[in-house]
Amino acid sequence: MSKVRSVGEEVWKHKTDKINSELLTLTYGSIVAQLVADFDHDYAKVNKQLDKMGYNIGLRLIEELLAKTGLPRCQNFRDTAEAVAKVGFKMFMNITPTISNWSVDSKQFSLVFTENPLAEFVELPDKPNARDLWYSNIYAGVIRGALEMVQLQVEAEFVSDAVQDPSLPTEIRVRLVKVLEDEIPPGED
Amino acid sequence: MADRTPIVHSSTVPGGVTQLRSASSQASLVESARKGAIYERSLQRKRGEVSESVMALVICEAVQYLQKQAKGIADLEDRLNRLGYHMGQRVLELITLREGKSAKRETKVLGILQFIHTMVWRTLFGRPADALERSTEDTNQYMIIDNDPLITRFISVPKDMAQLNCAAFAAGIIEAVLDASLFTAKVTAHTMGTPQTPDKTVYLVQFESLR
Amino acid sequence: MGVKSIYILNKAGGLIFQRDFGDSLSKLDSNDYLVIAGTLHSVHAITTRISPVAGSSGLTVMETPSFSLHIFQSQTGIKFMILTDRQQYGIDSIASRIHHLYSDYVMKNPFYTLEMPIRCEKFDRYLGAYISTVA
Repeated sequence: MSKVRSVGEEVWKHKTDKINSELLTLTYGSIVAQLVADFDHDYAKVNKQLDKMGYNIGLRLIEELLAKTGLPRCQNFRDTAEAVAKVGFKMFMNITPTISNWSVDSKQFSLVFTENPLAEFVELPDKPNARDLWYSNIYAGVIRGALEMVQLQVEAEFVSDAVQDPSLPTEIRVRLVKVLEDEIPPGED
Repeated sequence: MADRTPIVHSSTVPGGVTQLRSASSQASLVESARKGAIYERSLQRKRGEVSESVMALVICEAVQYLQKQAKGIADLEDRLNRLGYHMGQRVLELITLREGKSAKRETKVLGILQFIHTMVWRTLFGRPADALERSTEDTNQYMIIDNDPLITRFISVPKDMAQLNCAAFAAGIIEAVLDASLFTAKVTAHTMGTPQTPDKTVYLVQFESLR
Repeated sequence: MGVKSIYILNKAGGLIFQRDFGDSLSKLDSNDYLVIAGTLHSVHAITTRISPVAGSSGLTVMETPSFSLHIFQSQTGIKFMILTDRQQYGIDSIASRIHHLYSDYVMKNPFYTLEMPIRCEKFDRYLGAYISTVA
């Protein structure tokens, strides 16, 4: 088992207070429903709001990851991907998405999910443009916010979602825009 | 009051309203076959776990989102209550469907309150609530007590908002379960901390009038 | 009392939390605390540059006859400064615990805005309870 993966497992096993995932699934579902009502079924706006909420969560969530793992600063984007998939998602959601489809310049990768606690038993409504909803778009925002706090500016977007189309995997594409050099805390350059 | 006829489908449907689905849905054959996959999944499968932190952060964001829309503390509590209410409708469906043949409809007040106190609390929060009491002054009033509510575990209400209780979310869940069981009540959350249990929360369940 | 004082600084070096423990420290003007924090923030930054060793993390410990000062910086840029007795040991686990409490009772508080002064009752409560158990 890789070192990073074992860190994630260790934190999940011994340092995490756990709850029934249904509590999260139901709460998240009610929030999405609220947003859909508030934005009057404009799913593009709901997506944006979910991304924004995820971003705010990411800004706050990263501190716990750092406190519990003591992970050193990632030396390259490949290390970052490992940390996101094997530590981040493992310690918070108890899932480990697969990292795949690296771009040639190692600045883009995909996270592929075989399970997704947020979307358990979820079905999109029959409305015509419901296909536009990225139900778990909060993940994209969380990745973006969390990495920004460690001075990596990234873009994260859903490519496909099993909730929309069960024949497809749930996949998020993450792209490194730039390292926020000016923001790096003194002593960590 | 929520519809109590049995439903066949998923317990969370974005769009709010519980939808009744039957075999004669308008969806094309291909669509039905695809969607059928969700109905095949057993509700009895081993339930998963996630970190408490994710729930806390999602609630944190929800409170902030609702606070922007709310006009004052009472309105914010109201919105939290409604969010919890929406969730409560689905919790009841889920638990009832799981119980299957052994599910019985509670017809007595004490029965439904005990159901909430044990089954609902255990399903959502991993343990039963700490106490269930009936008010001595008002026979239409009951209290469900939680000494350390999960929902508000990490929330510190600022002094200038002292009347706010974010456990209004859980109060909404209770209200929904009661409504769906044909007991109408208003449920509010109150912090009644003691030195040993500083975060003790009392859910006041006020029935209109009980038979 | 092992831990005498805790300061938390945001990314910009602004003081967002300060608390003394026990009676051994005299009470300062609130402005004085801001000055102390700002000074230490700058000193920390300067030490990363003037260190004779390449890739230095900057000031982490300062020992004087009457106290020790420890500085911990999270990768996010926030700093925890802990003032202790000279004899205090196990400072790493103390800092880690404070970081944990911060990630729980500050980060998960919807009424807390990032980078702003910390006024979270539960953070105060749990921090106080923890520090009183330390040596």
